[in-house]
Amino acid sequence: MPWSDIAAPYQRATSLGGYALAAVLAGSEIVILALALNPNVNADYRAYYIDRTTTCLNRDATGSYTLGETVSFRSDGAKRAASIKVCGWSGSAGDGTHSLGETSRLRVRTPLLRNGLTATLQMAAVIRPPRITQRVVISVNGVRVHAVTLSGKEPRTVSFVIPPAALGEAKALDIAFDYLDGIPPTPAASNIYKRSIKLVSFRLDAFETD
Amino acid sequence: MALENLVRPNAGGRLMVMAVAAVPLLFVISGLAIRYAAFASISAESGFAAYARALCRWDCAWYIGISEQGYERFPISNHSNVGRWGFFPLYPMLVAAIRAIFPFQTILVATITSMVFSYAACLVAWPLLEKNMRAYVLYCAFLLSGPFSFHFTTFLTESLFVLLTSCVFLALKRSSYLAAGLSSALLSATRLVGVFIVFATVIQMFREYRERGGLTLSFPRWVLGRPYLLVAILISPAGLFAYTLFLYLTVGDGFAFLHVQRAFGRVAGNPLVFLWDGLSAVPKTGWLPTAPQWSALAAITGLALSAVLAARRQYGAALFCALCIILPLITNLASMVRYVVGLAPLTIMLAVLLSASKLISLAASVFFLGACYFMTVAWIGGYLALV
Repeated sequence: MPWSDIAAPYQRATSLGGYALAAVLAGSEIVILALALNPNVNADYRAYYIDRTTTCLNRDATGSYTLGETVSFRSDGAKRAASIKVCGWSGSAGDGTHSLGETSRLRVRTPLLRNGLTATLQMAAVIRPPRITQRVVISVNGVRVHAVTLSGKEPRTVSFVIPPAALGEAKALDIAFDYLDGIPPTPAASNIYKRSIKLVSFRLDAFETD
Repeated sequence: MALENLVRPNAGGRLMVMAVAAVPLLFVISGLAIRYAAFASISAESGFAAYARALCRWDCAWYIGISEQGYERFPISNHSNVGRWGFFPLYPMLVAAIRAIFPFQTILVATITSMVFSYAACLVAWPLLEKNMRAYVLYCAFLLSGPFSFHFTTFLTESLFVLLTSCVFLALKRSSYLAAGLSSALLSATRLVGVFIVFATVIQMFREYRERGGLTLSFPRWVLGRPYLLVAILISPAGLFAYTLFLYLTVGDGFAFLHVQRAFGRVAGNPLVFLWDGLSAVPKTGWLPTAPQWSALAAITGLALSAVLAARRQYGAALFCALCIILPLITNLASMVRYVVGLAPLTIMLAVLLSASKLISLAASVFFLGACYFMTVAWIGGYLALV
């Protein structure tokens, strides 16, 4: 029997094996591509990394807080403030905690209150001419509660009422700061690096009605 | 692989083998001595471990993290937005495997591994340099004792990337498509841009097909009729796909290596605008170019050398190098110098061009060794253009 007759079946087998391997590779790659195009991630991951609709990666972090306590966001209160910072902050530094990006969040655990709360914040604007003011919109648990325009380098005390409607039955207070006039370090820089305010201190009190 | 054609029964052949092995070894030693002298000139510490730690800059820390702790799941601990997902796994995995056998500090294992890989990359380059000894000496000097030799001798992926790129092109030169495919698969698990080498493989297949008198339109049919070619093409991105699957299973996002770039502040934009911005960043004092200018010049030089490769009819290598420069350039100029000097086809061609004249070759060698000292000082000092 000539060698070619023996070799032929092996050649066919090798060829078929090659095609089978190619098919497995192609199939696997298509499946992996399909999986990658349909990520199995939570809404916070999607908003920050994929859709890029926020610069503040929300996290499951809630700090404890006692009403009437003033929390310093300067270097001296760094440890205390760290537990209530969720995202969108850089520092603490000597002049406060700097906002980073287009939104920052704080979150604290609070007792259920019928009459709402009064928030008192000390904040300063980040200024780089021609931008000399910073507009900040503050929301609590998704409800817009206050808007302020900061100007000047010196910290300013901002007080506002958090109505019961914003508190609802929630056990935590999620305070979001949206910055409308953030300053990017360079024109081409990512919006995650925008600077808007320096938060100096934070305080909550029970709202007292007459 | 590089040496197998060298083994000849005569004494001349044996001498040549010894020379090919000895040249990079000499530059390993000289490079180590020069970089150590640079380290010693600015550091109060001494010893190889301190030297290895001093050279571990920028991305090196990420690779150490991956090698020692693997990749994070989501959410990342310590309230961090920046996962290690952007750094590809092959090299840190290899270092972790070697460390399991030789239980020393990660940076020590990685530094020695990088030097071994760079040495091996030189050997593989020998046939790619058409056994031109002058070009070979120059290439070895550049890689192991040159101004950017710290990139190839610390815990960065450059040494493995250059080695695997050289392996692919050597396999393609010998029409060993399966070997090229396997090397490409490893390359695509080393850095994202490694996946582009598949174009070089297809271009080489097309060239071979045309040399056999095939018609352009019949090329796909010719490939489909040869299962080993199909396997070679399809296995090339296997490293990238494997990593994608891993990320899907652990993070839930197979493209986490791309999406995490947001946390590094990378924004997609026009490469030409980034180049212009880089070139426009003139120094405020003195005449030395700024870091953005160096980065822009490196990108332009790399693209120009890619064009020279194309002019020399090395279309696959030209396309691979151009894509490896353009893809990162879409986000910004960061690490551009490192990316360009880590493209083996460019540096191999540069060595060939410079070796055309004996005088220029000698001057370049001396320049490489001298610049090694000063660039190492700049690297240890954190000079931004070298990131």
